[in-house]
Amino acid sequence: METSAIVQFRNVTKKIGGKTIIDGLTLDLPRGEVFGFLGPNGSGKTTTIRMMVGLMRMTEGEIRIGGASIATDYEKAIRHVGAIVEKPEMYKYLTGYQNLLHFARMIPGVGRNRIDEVIRLAGLDKRIHDKVKTYSLGMRQRLGVAQALLHKPSLLILDEPTNGLDPAGIRELRDYLRKLAEEEGITVFVSSHLLSEMELMCDQVAIIQAGKLIDIRSLRSGDGSQEAVPVPVQFELDRPDEALAVIRRSIRPAGDDGGREIRASVREGLLVIDALREDIAELNALLVKEGIRVYGIRSKAKSLEDQFLEVTGGESVV
Amino acid sequence: MFDFGNLVLNENMKIYRRARVWIMWGLMVLAVAAVSGIAYSSSANPPSMWQMVAIEMIVMMPLVSIFAVIVAADIVAGEFTAGTIKLLLIRPWSRSKILLSKYAATLLFGFFSMALLYAALLLVNIIFFGYEKGIKAAEVFGAADPAMSAWSYFNQSFFMQFISLIVTVTLAFMISSVFRSGALAIGLSLFVVLMGKTLGQLFGLIDRKWVDYVLFQHLDLTRYIGMGSSGANGGMTLGFSLAVLAGYYVIFMALSWFVFTRRDVAA
Repeated sequence: METSAIVQFRNVTKKIGGKTIIDGLTLDLPRGEVFGFLGPNGSGKTTTIRMMVGLMRMTEGEIRIGGASIATDYEKAIRHVGAIVEKPEMYKYLTGYQNLLHFARMIPGVGRNRIDEVIRLAGLDKRIHDKVKTYSLGMRQRLGVAQALLHKPSLLILDEPTNGLDPAGIRELRDYLRKLAEEEGITVFVSSHLLSEMELMCDQVAIIQAGKLIDIRSLRSGDGSQEAVPVPVQFELDRPDEALAVIRRSIRPAGDDGGREIRASVREGLLVIDALREDIAELNALLVKEGIRVYGIRSKAKSLEDQFLEVTGGESVV
Repeated sequence: MFDFGNLVLNENMKIYRRARVWIMWGLMVLAVAAVSGIAYSSSANPPSMWQMVAIEMIVMMPLVSIFAVIVAADIVAGEFTAGTIKLLLIRPWSRSKILLSKYAATLLFGFFSMALLYAALLLVNIIFFGYEKGIKAAEVFGAADPAMSAWSYFNQSFFMQFISLIVTVTLAFMISSVFRSGALAIGLSLFVVLMGKTLGQLFGLIDRKWVDYVLFQHLDLTRYIGMGSSGANGGMTLGFSLAVLAGYYVIFMALSWFVFTRRDVAA
């Protein structure tokens, strides 16, 4: 059963003691993307990930990874997966190398060469023979990623990977994950409640609230879905009111010949116009030609945060 | 499938790469050497080799049980406490096999501890007092059979205590698997080991048929050694005791497996 989706959720439901934690989740994760799983705390992100890796059973539904069911064909399905569930908890009394050796032994075909390779990838060469209890959180995180990549999985699952990392560590991890997806074709599934993080890292984001999937958003420009929609653009000008008049005069209002309706207004001393990307340059040229000074142009594309708040209704978020 | 031995190797690494095992074993050997050394140097007429072996065996055997129980109680629950169980389980191995590898490593540790005590008792006391031949078990171990040699009693005793150890360790392993808290598992298991004998005697006072099936009544198998031709001990036979222990063993194993393979891993 080869499909383009590496993971298929079908009506996945989890009930604990009569309480529904996850409610009918159906979702496909495409290969080779960084896929974000976003939701407020307690929305069921970790539960979903635990079910994906077989740490929890689902009450109903099915999860297939690489075509194999996690419930009935676990040993086959889990081979596709490398994961860190919550914190990167390793054996603290062992060295980093012994930890990697431990997990390498559990998978056939992972030799010492591959261990050395992931150590280099994770940049842990210098400290790998020290005990893990002497590692900083960032190093543990990297060791966690290293163990997850040992068997060259096609799916990497990371639960809140940026928790507790400093900004440099977050940036490093982010670049690394993007590299994995782009160069090695690994699907990366990251959960987080940090909206801004997801925005920088992910191709697509699924938003979950109270155990229900409420939206899937594409975040990468270039796939066309967001391009055709005009977004509000702010112009910082010396004479905004005059500029508004110029624009109203120069651009034909919506008519029979397919012209668009202009939505422009002056707010707080700024001229705000709904415009497409191409229109911005033309508007700028027009304003300059009319002798109006342009100090700044800012596209007010909705951030994921706005979208997130919009779809979750702004309730009980973050 | 691929090599199950690797799983046991992993569990062994997690047991023997920690200092605590070496501290426990070091203490054990040191205690044997110290007791023999003090007896050798301070007493006007030093005790015989087998006398010391008999005394030290009674003192040290519970220590071996305690060490084995600590390892058994920690081997599953410790992974839950540290959170490493999540990384351990998300591998292409069924939970049964992972649990089995842990159980195998636990039994191995019990076996090694026993073997170490066995070697230490003999070696240390032979070094201090020299080997004595032809000593009867009746003289030093208080066995009923006058014909049995001390050497034979010693070996049989280790064998019987190893059987009890397996049952005790399996109990600790079950507690470890069911409660998933290292501290609770170690505490409960130690309570059972330390109070076992006393509880057994307490139950012995109750004049009811079901008392014969209580676990604590059967953990001391050494009383069946060297009974000569009398055959029964307090109305019970070795066969009966072994059958009761086997019954408990099956229950412990079934519970460990049932809980470990079925329950969700949360927290």
